[in-house]
Amino acid sequence: MSTAAPEPKANMGQPIPRYDAVAKVTGKAQYGADVALVNPVYAYLVTSSIAKGRIDSFDLADAKTVRGVVDIVTHENAEKLKEAKLFSNGGYTSSTIQPLKSADIAQDGEIVAVVLAETFEAARQAAYAVKVNYTAAVPTTTFGSPGTTSAPAKGQLAQFKEDPKVGDFAKAFESAEVKITAEYGTPAQHHNPMELFATSCVWNGDSLTIYEPSQYVHGLKNGVAEQLGIDADRVRVINSYVGGAFGSKGSMTPRTAIIASIARRLGRPVKLVATRDQGFTIATFRAETRHQVKLGATRDGKLTSLRHEGWEISSRADPYAVGGTKTTTRMYECPNIDSLVSIVRADRNTPGFMRAPPEVPYMFALESAMDELAYELKMDPIELRRVNDTMKEPIKGNTYTSRSLMACFDEGAKVFGWSQRKAEPKSMTDGDWLVGYGCATSCYPTQMAPAAARVRLQRDGHVKVQIAGHEIGNGAYTVIGLVAAERLGVPIDKVSVFIGDSDLPPAPVAGGSNSTASTCSTVIMVCEQIRQKLFKATMPDETLIDKAKETVGVGQTPVTRAAKGDRQIDYERAFDALGVSVIEEYGEWKPDGAPMDAFRAMNKGQMRMVGGPEMKDKIAYAFGAEFVEVRINRWTHEITVPRLLGAFAAGRIMNPTTARSQLMGGLIWGMSSALHEATELDERYARYVNDNLADYLLPVNADVPSVEVIMLTEQDDHINPAGVKGIGELGNVGTNAAVCNAIFHATGQRLRKLPIRLEQLDI
Amino acid sequence: MTDPEDRALTWSFNRRAFIGGAAGTVALPLVAKAAGDANTAAVAADLSLPVDVTLQINGATRPLNIDIRTTLLDALREHAGLTGSKKGCDHGQCGACTVMVDGRRVLSCLTLALTVQDQPITTIEGLSQGDQLHPMQQAFIDQDAFQCGYCTPGQIISAIACVKEGHATTDGDIREFMSGNICRCAAYPNIVAAVKQAAPAVSDEQKG
Repeated sequence: MSTAAPEPKANMGQPIPRYDAVAKVTGKAQYGADVALVNPVYAYLVTSSIAKGRIDSFDLADAKTVRGVVDIVTHENAEKLKEAKLFSNGGYTSSTIQPLKSADIAQDGEIVAVVLAETFEAARQAAYAVKVNYTAAVPTTTFGSPGTTSAPAKGQLAQFKEDPKVGDFAKAFESAEVKITAEYGTPAQHHNPMELFATSCVWNGDSLTIYEPSQYVHGLKNGVAEQLGIDADRVRVINSYVGGAFGSKGSMTPRTAIIASIARRLGRPVKLVATRDQGFTIATFRAETRHQVKLGATRDGKLTSLRHEGWEISSRADPYAVGGTKTTTRMYECPNIDSLVSIVRADRNTPGFMRAPPEVPYMFALESAMDELAYELKMDPIELRRVNDTMKEPIKGNTYTSRSLMACFDEGAKVFGWSQRKAEPKSMTDGDWLVGYGCATSCYPTQMAPAAARVRLQRDGHVKVQIAGHEIGNGAYTVIGLVAAERLGVPIDKVSVFIGDSDLPPAPVAGGSNSTASTCSTVIMVCEQIRQKLFKATMPDETLIDKAKETVGVGQTPVTRAAKGDRQIDYERAFDALGVSVIEEYGEWKPDGAPMDAFRAMNKGQMRMVGGPEMKDKIAYAFGAEFVEVRINRWTHEITVPRLLGAFAAGRIMNPTTARSQLMGGLIWGMSSALHEATELDERYARYVNDNLADYLLPVNADVPSVEVIMLTEQDDHINPAGVKGIGELGNVGTNAAVCNAIFHATGQRLRKLPIRLEQLDI
Repeated sequence: MTDPEDRALTWSFNRRAFIGGAAGTVALPLVAKAAGDANTAAVAADLSLPVDVTLQINGATRPLNIDIRTTLLDALREHAGLTGSKKGCDHGQCGACTVMVDGRRVLSCLTLALTVQDQPITTIEGLSQGDQLHPMQQAFIDQDAFQCGYCTPGQIISAIACVKEGHATTDGDIREFMSGNICRCAAYPNIVAAVKQAAPAVSDEQKG
């Protein structure tokens, strides 16, 4: 078997190639901007060159003389769209800064005009010729800039429910035998999916079709309908493939309704492909954060007190926050805990979720502090985690549905060769290279949301699955197809999967790593409905039907348990008994603990996510242990990462091939968040400086020598019918801390502010 | 290989572009040269008018009527209906638009379409023979060398060129010579494995 197809262990599916593999290697996979339009108008955005102030006037004379220009839309002539509510406050939009609404400018790079022309080239030329006269005010950029305002997140944002605390932190910390107080910082980052933010809008009468990369077609459909003031049933969003998203395409951005409105006004299809630099300001980003962590422990390493305070940048308009203290206060056993998250406002675009939004910055702080504590205690960092490992989260005392953290550390340490590590910092060298080993805990909450699916089974065994899930590289087509094949007992090549279309039964946002758990649980349930029909047909005796029902199981029964009681059904006999050639079933599934309005919200494209630390009587997380080797050149200070290793346990692994790839990509993201990525700010103008792929440092192939992914067997019957925890965001949590911990081990120098640059090293 | 300077001279100018001869338009050196000594009117031609160009794409002759500023990438995507090549930056920074021109890998977003007339262009759509995938395409599937798939057409074209250039003999070389193609999903180790898997077949194809 190739390394891409690891041998499945217990509770893992077969490693199979992607359902969409051939389409993707032949160029046939159609992404949003690939859809051919009839007689389209090309749109090109003009964005503001100031971050705060107002537009005094436009000079459009030169732009209008460009041959092929059809129209120029500014706030002076744009349709006034209805206001949209922030996604994180229960609405649809990623930002309530609504461009083209007034002369006011609230952020750098805000859309101030849309140029429409017969060709892309003409639209671009005319956009460059648009002159905007501004009165600029001095903007506030980030932490430490004059003019910031700071206030607790609680009460500002529906998504942020509490500042977790328990016991008496102050007293316990004061009397702790060993103490750590440290401050950490993480930078602004942009998702930079390879696919640009494109939108094509086509009207047919009063019906609108949108071709746009989206992680949430039902949310986008409803959001655009609301802004345009039309019936949501008149809007259809189609995206069979998304060219990377990482959170950036999860909620509606203001551009979509604007383009839809212009297409309606012109009576022609409009195609926008925003440029790479515009993508930095017309969508969201991961905001910069600051942290203070205090840890108190006994001499033998037991935590007695923990405090985590976090500050996050948001826009003036929106109170966005990720609030990772909900995770960091629950990682380890500790009787006295305090926390506080504050939102710091500046004149910026509204941030949003980016791959493991809370955990990447907050676990960086906690896992760095744990490493500092381990050195202070002269204790192995893995042993410190073991001493404080727990099956009960300390805030409410809820039990983890499963937690294989130490099994991950033990397996990872063995394969990595952790025992070769000499404890003293700066004690391992290889010629001119200082060598360091570091490790950290990885985790991600297990989340689910309501979804619906339609499954059709033909007498000849062909299966068609319809669910408005999203293929963002997560392998959605593949795992949805796999689970249907598994439940209906047909070969995978007889299954067709239809996703990425808002005309299909609704599925949640492909975010928060809930996609596989939610869509597969739903498809399992609908397949069970089909199986029951077939059973009834072949077993007319009433008592037997009841018995069959019990054995097959519906709803919340984990797939692995149900599978044990499976019986072979003679399909042809059953179909003949029923006198039909096709059985088609529709079903709606919701996770345990979903609110009363869950299905209504689902149909309106509003999220009702359940899971992680916010469940009533339990807590569900996936865990991992990550190991990093760094080598730092004694003379040049060049930092290299020859080895990355992650060991993960995340419930059922649907497809070891796609799972390994996703976790591997996550590890590389994690390394990148320590050593590569940062959006640089010009503090004079509240502007992003490196808004292109040459200056925004992403890892390339040469940066990534060896990555090893270990998947451990874990079975969890308390989360969802699929038994799946979600792995899309697990891989890139904790890696940044593991890198810094390894740098400390190599050099004896503790670096607390990301990203690490070689000029920071003092060796 | 033909001298690219010579090629520019063979470029045929659309007669419609001669009409008008509007003043004030700045002639690109290329245009002046392309028009040649025979017709100096081209210098004053209205450059905003579309021109006829003929591209040789995947073995087919494709006449297109395009703005002279049209990049090869936009010509393929917006005019020839070949959307396999992707736009990731439009600045030559990401590699998603990589295609083969005259056997070399080039960034189609930094190449003006009218400069590559009469040169064979191979895009991702031109690699397979019917249902028979190119060995590099098969290797990308076998090694799961992609996730979202958006950079994949550029990666595969680059990977074939990487082997043909002789840069696929070591893992280190493959990493270095595949570093012009960014994969944000970070499938890099799998891409290296795919290049290694397909290298012998691609080398044979070159010899054969």
